[in-house]
Amino acid sequence: MSARQMKLGLFLWATGHHIAAWRHPDAHVTAGIDIDHYIALAQTAEAAKFDMVFCEDAAGLREANVNIASQTSRSIGFEPISLLSALAAQTERIGLVSTASTSYNEPYGLARMFASLDNLSGGRAGWNLVTSASPIEAANFGATGLRPHADRYARAREFATVIIGLWNRRAAGHDGESFSVRDPLDIPPSPQGAPVMVQAGASDDGKDLAARTADVVFSAAQTFEDAKAFYDDLKGRLAAYGRQPDDVKIMPGVAPIVAATKAEAQAKYDALQELIPDDVGVALLSSYLSISDLGRYPIDGQLPELPESEGMKSRQALVIEQARRDGLSIRELARYFAGARGHWRVVGTAEQIADELQARFEGGAADGFNVMPSWFPGELDAFATLVVPELQRRGLFRRDYEGRTLREHLGLKRPI
Amino acid sequence: MGSTMHLAISLNIAATDGQDVLDFGQISAFVRKTEAAGVDMVIISDSADKPSSSPFEATTLLAALATVTDKIGLVAGASTLAHQPYNLARRFASLDIISHGRIGWNATTAQNPREAANFSRPEGFSDDDFRRRAREFIDIVRLLWIGWEHDALLFDKASGRFHDPDKMHPADFTGEFFSVRGPLNVARSPQDVPVLVMSGLAGTELDFASRRADVVLLDKLEPSGARATCDEIKRRAHEAGRDPVTIKVLAMADAGPEHDGRGLEDLCLSSGCDGIVLTVQPRAAALEALVERLLPDLKRHGFAKAKPGKTLRDRLGLSEDSKP
Repeated sequence: MSARQMKLGLFLWATGHHIAAWRHPDAHVTAGIDIDHYIALAQTAEAAKFDMVFCEDAAGLREANVNIASQTSRSIGFEPISLLSALAAQTERIGLVSTASTSYNEPYGLARMFASLDNLSGGRAGWNLVTSASPIEAANFGATGLRPHADRYARAREFATVIIGLWNRRAAGHDGESFSVRDPLDIPPSPQGAPVMVQAGASDDGKDLAARTADVVFSAAQTFEDAKAFYDDLKGRLAAYGRQPDDVKIMPGVAPIVAATKAEAQAKYDALQELIPDDVGVALLSSYLSISDLGRYPIDGQLPELPESEGMKSRQALVIEQARRDGLSIRELARYFAGARGHWRVVGTAEQIADELQARFEGGAADGFNVMPSWFPGELDAFATLVVPELQRRGLFRRDYEGRTLREHLGLKRPI
Repeated sequence: MGSTMHLAISLNIAATDGQDVLDFGQISAFVRKTEAAGVDMVIISDSADKPSSSPFEATTLLAALATVTDKIGLVAGASTLAHQPYNLARRFASLDIISHGRIGWNATTAQNPREAANFSRPEGFSDDDFRRRAREFIDIVRLLWIGWEHDALLFDKASGRFHDPDKMHPADFTGEFFSVRGPLNVARSPQDVPVLVMSGLAGTELDFASRRADVVLLDKLEPSGARATCDEIKRRAHEAGRDPVTIKVLAMADAGPEHDGRGLEDLCLSSGCDGIVLTVQPRAAALEALVERLLPDLKRHGFAKAKPGKTLRDRLGLSEDSKP
């Protein structure tokens, strides 16, 4: 058999994944109102033979604190289904995946949107199912509060069942707890049969739903061990649903910073970190540690003694210990968290980054990666021109597309 | 008189009789030809009240068309039953940004029982509830569209201020059917408010449309009937405090062989309408006949002469007064 190759997604987000991306001197600061910018990004990713571009989404602002929000670029952007439909007309091969919520849509309506995107693109669409946990979103849909976790997942399971049935032309007619649908879908299937199903939930409910319905799973893992544990856990759940390990592709996020030398890459990273406004960093750190506002303490001093809090996880407690041992100030610790956003950051040369990706790919911790450039377009360009060729030289990534649809790129079966 | 006779095309891409549907290449080639011929806007709908099939949904199709055209207005039909106001407001604001201000929303005002049955509303709404809900929906969408002031985005890398938080306003809407806090997470779009097109109106909706709509499409009527309805709409708009020139009334007509440029010019002039909307069947031959035969003839009779402004609002001559 030909050697297994990794899958690559380009994760599009605002001006870049670093919280201060928009302040970088060369970052395209008007990204959120410039369609030509997004067309150029998608075309860059397509020229580099990426499997897909991926849009995260929320039906509301990201940050409730208006002062913090106004120091980031994440309060405005394109609605992703219209963005990807525009990109469909300006690309030929690359997959187009968008997030959409099961809490704030109806399955028949969302089935139509993605089926239409799938036809516009000749079979390149995918849907990332999210259940939406944010109270900011809930307030835009007449809800007074969040649904309990289990309820949201019950609705999501029913939603997934209905939409898969509609896309796959199963007998119409559904009358369930949350939804009723009478007719078959009025949009015919695309060349890939049905849009690719993507999920990213890391909870037990989320992983079970993914094992039952997803074609691709996005994840976040800092260490090889975490990535491997998630990979084995999810693949281990597939047999219960009559599926093979290869039926689901697991693609953890990676935030690379690449340059010709390690020192140069580190300098690029440090310069970005310098751009994080202190109050933004401290607010994000407070939120990450699930503790009330750290802003009351001197920013160049060390963390105060903190009471054990409900929301604090053991990993966060370890980080606090580490910070104490290393004598990090609140400012330094805040920048560390704000920059990484919980994802795996790799800083180095193309060879070093390829080594890291190869180790996780060949070590059974990933089928590919969702690439999260720190800022656009520069860090995407750097990854496309430095890291992708290195992966190709090693035979780890395609030199050209073989298929035309997203399912073909990913090596997925057609839905039955 | 000298006022412009506007020309729009209405294309429902849904096939109800099992015939072949149009592919994207056919639709985009057609829209580009109508753009070249000076047509003001194309209005696309994607469903029917009987079983039908279409490869595309109208708003997604519009996004793709926006990238292959640069002057023509693009309008999509979208129903208040099949969407949530927050989601639909985002969609159209995005489309308006993608198209650099050429977008309109044809808001459905009649309840389609097929939609109710497929959108978890098997019992549907009473006609009266549906109308009140649709009005509330439209008002929320318009409110969300203007949540960000024109100069809210600062992009100030040096100071670290991306936007001015005092120029971002929540909608804080609580009504009979919806409550929506806002603001939208999409920037103010080039037209501020995408063009609101309403059609299929009767009775009380006519009054609402006279207050809110930018464009009203009149069902196929004899010139005398069209004249009376057009006058009525303009009169009610005036009573609602609007300058009647900021609401455009277009008379619908089939693009079939029974019509020629002279006849349609007569219809437009004798009805007092601001222009006409040609409805065309989604078949390659019908599209070709429209482009080859009827559009050149209409041009000879004074249609399709509007100056292509920067936005669809400019092009239709909709002034500041028509904004909320």
